[in-house]
Amino acid sequence: MERGRFENLAGTWGGDLRRWPEGERAAAERLLQADPAARAVLDEAATLDALLDRSPTPWPSQALRDRVIAAAPRAGAWSLPWSRAGLAFGAGWAAAACAGVMAGLVLTQSLTADLQADAVLYQASLSGVDDEDLL
Amino acid sequence: MPGDAIAIDGPLVRLDAEVPRPVTVDPDQDLVRRVGRGDPAAVQALVARKLPRLLALAQRMLNDPVEAEDVAQEALLRAWKQAPRWTPGKARFDTWLHRVALNLCYDRLRRRRERPTALPPEQVDEGPAPDRGLMAADVGRRVDAALAALPDRQREAVILCHHQALTNIEAAAAMDVSVEALESLLSRGRRTLRTALADIRPGAEGA
Repeated sequence: MERGRFENLAGTWGGDLRRWPEGERAAAERLLQADPAARAVLDEAATLDALLDRSPTPWPSQALRDRVIAAAPRAGAWSLPWSRAGLAFGAGWAAAACAGVMAGLVLTQSLTADLQADAVLYQASLSGVDDEDLL
Repeated sequence: MPGDAIAIDGPLVRLDAEVPRPVTVDPDQDLVRRVGRGDPAAVQALVARKLPRLLALAQRMLNDPVEAEDVAQEALLRAWKQAPRWTPGKARFDTWLHRVALNLCYDRLRRRRERPTALPPEQVDEGPAPDRGLMAADVGRRVDAALAALPDRQREAVILCHHQALTNIEAAAAMDVSVEALESLLSRGRRTLRTALADIRPGAEGA
């Protein structure tokens, strides 16, 4: 690697060879061994790296984390098999409940009709007594 | 050669658009698959891994903490939608997520430019006061101000390659430019920053 190429790469990728493109690192190492003065080029580039590291790094608030997590997908969507089983189970219970209500209505109507008939007959018998009294 | 792929650091990147040939495993692949299935532990892990990175990226791109939170949140909401149908091998999930966040940042930067009456974000680079040295917090503000003063694409290149520690191929993919174009932007950005911050020596400031 030429010294000029080395300087260009240091200016672009900084003073840490681990940040350089992988294909350039071995040649850069060889240049550093052959030309120890090239180390100064890396040191100068590392100065800017150190300054960039001083840029404050924000940290997510708990409220932000909670909002993001609350919006995440959850197991239990309709597509999951056990959800379909749950739906079938619920539908069965609903059908059974409807059948019970219908049976109750029919039974209630039947009993009510019988009671009404009894009441009419009773009142008719009372009327019969009254009529006799009046006569 | 058409169809060849290059690998400098990280996954292969196709030189044409024919056959995807992933070589390295995406470190997020398993987590994303579990998120797609609604695994709460995977959601927690992905948030712990990605939210700080996205927030830092957006904060440095926009220099506005409220907008940065909005961008980080929106990027992860899009990740939740994408997770069930994520196809491994096309791109690294982290690169895709950076691309989403950057697009959201650019939407906001564009809106700022379309509102000429709106106050610009804080970009004042005042330099050190004449009667005192720089405090540590001052250095951070100076660096942020210098970053904010860069052209958007140069700032993006510096943030992706330095702060987000993406490889040249990942950063180029996130920016949708060639590696050569990325390196040009990065080189110009760092040169400008060196000039803007030339008066500061790291480690020489007070606490």
